[in-house]
Amino acid sequence: MRALSKLIAVCIAISLLAGCAKKSSTTLRIALVPKSTSHSFWMTVRAGAEAAAKESGVELIFRGPSKETDVAGQITIMEDLTNQKVDAIVMAACNSKALIKPVEKAIKAGIPVVTVDSGIDSDIAASFIATDNILGAHKAADELARLIGDKGDIGVMPIVSGAATSTMRENGFKEQIAKHPNIKVVSTLFSQCDEAKGMAATEDMLTSNPSIVGMFNACGPGAVGAARVLDQRKLAGKVKLVAFDAFPAEIEALKRGTIQALIVQNPFKMGYEGVKAAIKAKRGEKVPKRMDTGVAVVTKTNFNDPEIQKLLFPLGR
Amino acid sequence: MDRMAPLAFLVVMCAGLSIARPSFAQFSNLLGVIQQYSVIIVLAIGQTLLMISGGIDLSVGSVVALGGIVAGVCYQHGLGPVAAIAATVGVGVLAGLINGLVTTKARMPAFIATLGMMGIARGLAQVLSGAESIDVSPSIAALGQNQWFFVAAVVVVCVVTWIALTRTPFGRHCYAVGGNREATRLSGVNVDRHMIKAFLFTGTIVGIAAVLMTARVGLANPTGSEGYELDSIAAAVIGGTSLFGGQGTVAGTLVGALIMAVLRNGCNLLNIDSNWQLIIIGMMIILAVFYDNVRRRRRH
Repeated sequence: MRALSKLIAVCIAISLLAGCAKKSSTTLRIALVPKSTSHSFWMTVRAGAEAAAKESGVELIFRGPSKETDVAGQITIMEDLTNQKVDAIVMAACNSKALIKPVEKAIKAGIPVVTVDSGIDSDIAASFIATDNILGAHKAADELARLIGDKGDIGVMPIVSGAATSTMRENGFKEQIAKHPNIKVVSTLFSQCDEAKGMAATEDMLTSNPSIVGMFNACGPGAVGAARVLDQRKLAGKVKLVAFDAFPAEIEALKRGTIQALIVQNPFKMGYEGVKAAIKAKRGEKVPKRMDTGVAVVTKTNFNDPEIQKLLFPLGR
Repeated sequence: MDRMAPLAFLVVMCAGLSIARPSFAQFSNLLGVIQQYSVIIVLAIGQTLLMISGGIDLSVGSVVALGGIVAGVCYQHGLGPVAAIAATVGVGVLAGLINGLVTTKARMPAFIATLGMMGIARGLAQVLSGAESIDVSPSIAALGQNQWFFVAAVVVVCVVTWIALTRTPFGRHCYAVGGNREATRLSGVNVDRHMIKAFLFTGTIVGIAAVLMTARVGLANPTGSEGYELDSIAAAVIGGTSLFGGQGTVAGTLVGALIMAVLRNGCNLLNIDSNWQLIIIGMMIILAVFYDNVRRRRRH
């Protein structure tokens, strides 16, 4: 027991010293806290952040919870980074309310916070850099309407009940589809952002509503599941599928004609602009409160455009 | 007779759903339900054998994910589908062996040993995959196109486990060890060896579940099959398996798993909000155990 406490004391001393040593250097330390450390989306945000960090000569710390639902884990990470006195934090909030307090604490400690992709329900963040999800969902609605000839029954698959991004995409889509009077949303089921659950939900949706001619899926894994079900039921091309994101399996499905259009965000830009804004905020320069990183509607027609290719494969093939 | 209550509930639920939504009773939907929930059904059967022996396995969901990732890694290294399937089942067997050794040789409660394995397997799956969904052999993905593959797997696992539990000395030991560990040990049964065997049996089933999961989704997701450990335990409990060991049957668990599956499928067909599905299933679990308690007290 005694030996153990000595060991702990030594460890603490060393880490304090290391902390001091780091402090004395003049390089800014910017932390990037994604909603999760899995999925290519966050890897792309990270790549963008690293590009900006390299350009500006700052150090980037990448730390996030292992899954997007781990709100408590993300709060702990934010508190740790605040205690470590990093110079600025770029964060995508797992929960728009629960992360307000940790962000307040960081700002109080003199650490500016920039939110990317998913913000918090407060305007204390220096900047919010994200896709305008409502605008993106409007584009998805118009594209699906065009694909099904402006009439028929459709199904909507948001991500998780209550998550801000999910709600914006669902409401944005439904709001725009309401402008097409001959289209009716007959079913809304959640994919939980999981391939297997997305498959089960799609199967149930098609079973109870055989009249469905189009589907909107609000996230990558859910769309991958939906595409697999359409292939299995030989409905590919007959039921039009429009989906957010550009996961490798989604791009494959677009190429073979199971998905007709992808609503693709620009996570690389989020990471890049996030770090740039964080540096400016730390230096006391002015940063815009809101920045839209935009979406592109990717179809087979524009698939090979160089701009689209860069969006689809930001990390190279 | 009153042991038939869960079955009666399942039948009534199916009848009600068939009336409310005729599409429920379509053969393709019923087959689809088995396919959708095959992984959870199979895991619940494995969990049952272990729970009867007085054990529990919290690592099943993570090990299923790890098994799938290993299939993907095999594909990346140019191994064929048969080798990949063998490796995936092997992951389940190995995890079972470690769980068994840690619980018996290191004298740890199964709850703790498998809780540790739950984290280890999930972490390994993330590390091996680079924290992203990875492709598996197209032949494995093609297996998933055939609904009968899932039905066959469920039938084989149920029948083999049923035979093991009711027709072999190993099965008798499951009930004996779970019913009264000390008395069983004093009567000359090597309890440790039995528990290792039970964990190996369940581990093999978990490996099979990993193959089913990978075939169904057609790729391997390191964050997939999350919470399946609790779903499998819930199915076993709804079907009358005791958390304290000594009681449970394959048929009971099958009914329990089907109740959960039909509840979820039914809620989807009726367009019931997913949050309400959680509430309904939660109440089901409490009701099932409450009913089981009352029934047992009445008998004594």
